[in-house]
Amino acid sequence: MSREQKNRRDFLVKLGIGAGGVGIGTQAAASLRSLLPNVSYDAPTTVKVGLPADFPDGMKFLPEQRLFVFREGKVFHAVSAVCTHLGCTVRAEALPQPETVEVGGAQLRVTHRFACPCHGSKYTGDGKVVSGPAPRPLLWFHLSVSPDDGQLVVDLAQEVGRDFRLTTA
Amino acid sequence: MATLAKPATPAAPAAPGVHPKRLWSLRPRSDREAGDAVVSNFLLHWFPAKVFKPSLDWTYSYWLGTISAALLLLLVVSGLPLLFLYVPSVERAYGSVKDIEWVVTFGSWIRSVHRLSAHLMVAAVFLHLVRVFLTGAYKNGAGRGQQREWNWVIGVAMLLLTLFLSFTGYLLPWDQLAYWAVTVGTNIAASIPWIGPQVRELMIGGRNIDQPTLIRFYALHVIFLPAALGALFAYHMWRVRKDGGLARADRVATAREKAADEPVRSKTYTLLGVARGTAPTIRTSTLEARDLTVNAVPDLVRRAAVAVLGTFAVISVLASLVRSPLEEPANPLVTPNPAKAPWYFLWLQEIVTDTTFTVGGFTVNGAFLGGVILPGLLVGLLAAWPWIDRSRGEAAGVWFHGSRRRQNLVFLLIVLVVVALTIVGTFMRGPSWQFFWPWQAWPELPTRI
Repeated sequence: MSREQKNRRDFLVKLGIGAGGVGIGTQAAASLRSLLPNVSYDAPTTVKVGLPADFPDGMKFLPEQRLFVFREGKVFHAVSAVCTHLGCTVRAEALPQPETVEVGGAQLRVTHRFACPCHGSKYTGDGKVVSGPAPRPLLWFHLSVSPDDGQLVVDLAQEVGRDFRLTTA
Repeated sequence: MATLAKPATPAAPAAPGVHPKRLWSLRPRSDREAGDAVVSNFLLHWFPAKVFKPSLDWTYSYWLGTISAALLLLLVVSGLPLLFLYVPSVERAYGSVKDIEWVVTFGSWIRSVHRLSAHLMVAAVFLHLVRVFLTGAYKNGAGRGQQREWNWVIGVAMLLLTLFLSFTGYLLPWDQLAYWAVTVGTNIAASIPWIGPQVRELMIGGRNIDQPTLIRFYALHVIFLPAALGALFAYHMWRVRKDGGLARADRVATAREKAADEPVRSKTYTLLGVARGTAPTIRTSTLEARDLTVNAVPDLVRRAAVAVLGTFAVISVLASLVRSPLEEPANPLVTPNPAKAPWYFLWLQEIVTDTTFTVGGFTVNGAFLGGVILPGLLVGLLAAWPWIDRSRGEAAGVWFHGSRRRQNLVFLLIVLVVVALTIVGTFMRGPSWQFFWPWQAWPELPTRI
């Protein structure tokens, strides 16, 4: 067998192995890709949660949204109930006496504190971590008033700073 | 009319592997028949013809690998009826498990067999690993071409598969226990920097634990992981044979060789025929030492049967005494307090509770450190240990060999820490993960806010 023939045979063998590898690799990639959802059937992130008048002064827990909505007169804000450690739902405990603290340059009347049942993280009423493994404070979400029917709208995809307040008319 | 005279006694085998009587292989009358048994009986084909007697000792291996395999068999067998009864849909999963528990005849027993086998298998596989480490059985001894270190790596992979199988099965009842254990478990994956959320989304098929999660865990649990574990199990057993049986056999062979005056290297000792020159070789002086070997049939078969049938018996009885728990249906709106992972992950839950730390304003989630980095390091170290362990081949197959004292102590210490953390997490953590002694009552808590 001449040198050229040998080289050609080697080349064809490598080509065959390479083509087989590419084929199997593509099929594997296609199978894996099919497991990545293209459509999400999760609940929408923007949710109407009711008329402002339906919220009591103080705190209301919305289990579906895993959200605490706080009201002080006409001023609203919303704090997530999802622990930043591993995603359990934190519990609110009422403080014996409401306290007024300065949060993000604004006064805030704090009526509750939060504790996570899973790993014992504790948060202040504005979401700051007091103790436990939670790495970040509880998220605050954007609130607005729906222009069509006046309900409160929470945007669970829009995180806001702790100076956020919604003042309704 | 001429009649054919029948022989009074069963004819001797016409050829190896051929015998006129069925079931004869369990009671061989000669070494020849004992050897034929292994060749001709499908169920025995993975046994060698002869085994080293010390390898069969109850107190050498405690037969933990056999017990693990028996539990795996039991899990497959008890899983089959459950496969017909369980419905993997979020609307009906809980109801179907409730039916299995309360309506189906013997349903609760079958579920209990499945559940207890799963829990015990995690324990048995772990203890098997501990045994193999402490005896240095991943080390190569007298035989040539042994690759015990790779069988150890396969074993570590099988431990992980066992844990993952158990974890995927945990979600299927779709009760509160299942839902929140899986919430915590998958959020650990989400704590990996940058790619974490995508990894979690791939695991659970969306942003929330819902139907896509259930069907994913179900498919993994009933087909993908058992198939992978079965394949590795077959390879694990094959490697044991290729490596010349238990490490203890090498030990005996080495000792004999030293004692022998003039060892004669004469025969290639292969267990499954010709092994292309890489078979373990052992000198004839030890191979044919009749005082050290016994026929696999019936000696090995009898002991294996005791281990396997004993496991079946223990599980069967336990399962009729212990009911499987079923909590309230999964409720994403209410986190039970305390919310615990399965017991074999509680040592990790203990660690993720204590490992969040802040460096210069940058906070590392304890879940990443304790749930990803630390177990990853432990598993990596475990898999690489045969190459780190520099002790000599003589230490293979000996409990607490002197040359391996330090590593055995460190290993035992880690095992003890893991066991202690598991016990603390299981029995001493109450609401909000607060520490309670077992005799202290948990405070009454409102179940609703």
